Amino acid sequence: MSGGVEGLMMVHVLFGMLCIVTAVWVFVDVLNVSEANLARIRMMSIAVAVFMWLAYLIGGYWYVTYYAADKAVILKGPWPLAHSFFMEMKEHVVLLLVLLTTFLPIAAASNLAANKQARTLVLCVVGLIVLIGMAMDGSGAIIGVGAKVGLMPK
Amino acid sequence: MAANGIGKYTVSFGLSLAVMSVLNGLLVIVKETHEDSVLALMKRLTPHHWITHGIFVIVAFVALGWLFSRANGGQGIQIPVPRLIALLVGAVVVGGALIAGFYLIEG
Repeated sequence: MSGGVEGLMMVHVLFGMLCIVTAVWVFVDVLNVSEANLARIRMMSIAVAVFMWLAYLIGGYWYVTYYAADKAVILKGPWPLAHSFFMEMKEHVVLLLVLLTTFLPIAAASNLAANKQARTLVLCVVGLIVLIGMAMDGSGAIIGVGAKVGLMPK
Repeated sequence: MAANGIGKYTVSFGLSLAVMSVLNGLLVIVKETHEDSVLALMKRLTPHHWITHGIFVIVAFVALGWLFSRANGGQGIQIPVPRLIALLVGAVVVGGALIAGFYLIEG
């Protein structure tokens, strides 16, 4: 792998982490919602979606273009589950994350300061984003280790 | 703003998200268990079956959300917010469980 390809993967992880951290920000802001922070909640909700789409598109490009070599290494190594479960699961569950983050700015457009039910909806959506995001991050780490142990001398 | 206090697009795209979460999981199972027909077709449509899968899910999410917002003479589907939340969260959990469960058994 060239340094540029590794850099691409790091940027994918960076945007994924930014998505999670920003979602946590939105969660806390919604818990303390008032007219004063409504605009910030909406802006940060859009940021969550933008970060997720960047992570998805960059990771997707890397997956389609470069992953085949890693997949072969993982499947021949001692951690085949890193591909056969974690990668297979990650590449499809991530679509739930794309949908949830795309939906978040729409849900956050309601007057969250005045409507408790709208707040609950946004909190549930953000909670799912954070939980699934952390599962994706952990799966990515396991896939990385799966490739690493596959390259180690037997 | 709808009668339930949230916008019609929140309801329509929330319902679309619920539907597509489950359909996404079902599509995974169908394509992986029908490699010669469904998976082969998805591979023919774009350079990678995963690209076809993603395009289908995202385009269908937008299309369904828009369709649901046009229902009821343009007022959108009416549903109590607690039911929308239960549907959305339940569908995302089911969709994720379908995928994880399938690969846990088949992987």
